[in-house]
Amino acid sequence: MKTLDLTSSLFWLFLSAAAFAGSLHMGIGTVESPGMGFVPAAASGLLGILSLVLLANTIVKKLQDVTADTISTIVGRRSLTVLIGVIIYSILMPNLGYLISTFLLMTYLYWNMEQNGVKGLLRSALYSILTTAASYYLFAVLLNCPFPAGILKF
Amino acid sequence: MFHNLIFGFQVAFQPDNLLFSALGVLLGTLVGVLPGIGPVGAMALLLPATFGLSPTASLIMLAGIWYGSQYGGSTTSILVNIPGEATSVMTCIDGYQMSRKGRAGPALAMAAWASFIAGTFSIVGLMALAVPLGEQALRFGPPEYFSLMCAGLVLLTFMAQKSFLKAIMMAAVGVLLSTVGLDLISGLPRFTFGMDALIDGISISPMVMGLFGIAEILDSLDDAAQGIVFSGAIGRLYPSVKDWVKAKWSIIRGTVIGFVLGILPGGGAILSTFVAYGVEKKFSKTPEEFGHGAIEGVAGPEASNNAAAESALIPLLSLGIPPNVNMAMLFSALLIHGIQPGPLLIKEHPDIFWGLIASLYVGNILLLVLNLPLVGIWVRVLKIPQKILFPLILLFCLIGAYSINGMIFDVYVMLFFGVIGYLSRKFGYEIAPLVLAFVLGGRLEQSLRQSLLMSEGSFSIFFTSPLSAIALGIAVLLLISNFVPGLKRGRQLYNKAK
Repeated sequence: MKTLDLTSSLFWLFLSAAAFAGSLHMGIGTVESPGMGFVPAAASGLLGILSLVLLANTIVKKLQDVTADTISTIVGRRSLTVLIGVIIYSILMPNLGYLISTFLLMTYLYWNMEQNGVKGLLRSALYSILTTAASYYLFAVLLNCPFPAGILKF
Repeated sequence: MFHNLIFGFQVAFQPDNLLFSALGVLLGTLVGVLPGIGPVGAMALLLPATFGLSPTASLIMLAGIWYGSQYGGSTTSILVNIPGEATSVMTCIDGYQMSRKGRAGPALAMAAWASFIAGTFSIVGLMALAVPLGEQALRFGPPEYFSLMCAGLVLLTFMAQKSFLKAIMMAAVGVLLSTVGLDLISGLPRFTFGMDALIDGISISPMVMGLFGIAEILDSLDDAAQGIVFSGAIGRLYPSVKDWVKAKWSIIRGTVIGFVLGILPGGGAILSTFVAYGVEKKFSKTPEEFGHGAIEGVAGPEASNNAAAESALIPLLSLGIPPNVNMAMLFSALLIHGIQPGPLLIKEHPDIFWGLIASLYVGNILLLVLNLPLVGIWVRVLKIPQKILFPLILLFCLIGAYSINGMIFDVYVMLFFGVIGYLSRKFGYEIAPLVLAFVLGGRLEQSLRQSLLMSEGSFSIFFTSPLSAIALGIAVLLLISNFVPGLKRGRQLYNKAK
């Protein structure tokens, strides 16, 4: 957890500094008449101070504890591949349309969960056709959800 | 009050409200049973679907999901030793042992009855407290509201299960995120980075779907467990007279503990189950049976979590301050319908307030009537393989986010917060303070700026009103009590290192 705390405290510190600078730019006003940057400045200032406290605590603790997790050890391979698949889906959906992109996504997700070679891929594609058709009927036909038609116009 | 309750029942028994109450409690039970999505994620997923409903129907359904999940969570605790919800952790201890001894039926039935009895008494307490508290709250001004919200946020972070420091950091991030969009006073955009989609601020639904739905699924994918299937027998669904004799005081004590702790901001419902279990063990004449299938160990925590689920509505409905993330979702639902939760809600929208109260009675009866006969279905639901379930939940989240405005931007927002939520879990940060601070952020800022304008810049305005001073005093005490030991420990470590 020590390396993770170090990483996260630095991330929050950077974010708070950027937000604080943005708040100052917006104008924090005066105490009598607070401006629109007043609360963001207070929140980012608090976040910055607490990030520094966490950073200091981590550095002090690190002298005691040598066990350390890293991002690569805590983020699972399957969650990462699923996330990448979903991100690609969200980029492709407006262009490819709901039906094609959802079929591709669901095939990938089912196959990713099953991990069973070509045989698994065929079964995943079958599940995916059923899921895509059922979800399209439920949301687009029955509930009138305006899904993008995409380049193939369906 | 009786007259108002009759009016509430008239509202709750309207066919659409009754339908959405039944739908809410069934969905709540389902998400309580299913891994991968909790009540908050389900409420966020269904929030866009409530846009077309009346505010009363949408509130009734979302509240049904919340307290229905408390019932559902106990089913998995008893049958497969996996708490469906954090509030069902203590039920695992004795509930699962009862199940292993072939007494799953009496355990499930006792959990349902204890929840029903506690829920019903908690509603009476809710009615008795919410109305007078709401009347008192009409006198509160911006300083009181600011101090109460600060105290609520600090109390929430104080009860954080992980690090207090990180919980406050998440609350600060939540407030910061709430400032995205148009400034209420100047009308100028803040932190929108030139994106029109952010002018109205970050939408709560995709944000919560990401933080609780996507993050939960990603986290579950890392877990090697591929679902545990219940293979034993349920047994008869009636506790014996001996069981009732043993459990009656546990239910009463659990109800009182849950009701009181449920009002507190943060994990009141979770805390109440731990306290109730501890109290039962202490009061028991046979404490050695605890951990080996004592029915009091099921009745007490189950009564407490359901009592807490309903008493949590008190601060939301009477003060307009949601004490936990689930209540924050109800808060958001009301805001979406243009209704400001708080003391004026009872006066200006009695149909919503009393309709919701009456629907709680109706929902509790529905849960009892539907859930016990449906226990076989819930067991079958547990058998759905995760390789089918998780992709389906992901797809529902994606469709849910897209359908809010028919914009892919909401999907990006959901995925962004999904990553934030996933990494937060991995890095040891809790999400609840962030969501609650985000929901309260706008009002917190408004109250602060109004107070400072009223006092011409003097912070003493927060200490002139006794309520405001007490609330801030509590917040400061909690902060000090947490940071002083931390400083001591830091010094000790530093000295050792030297």
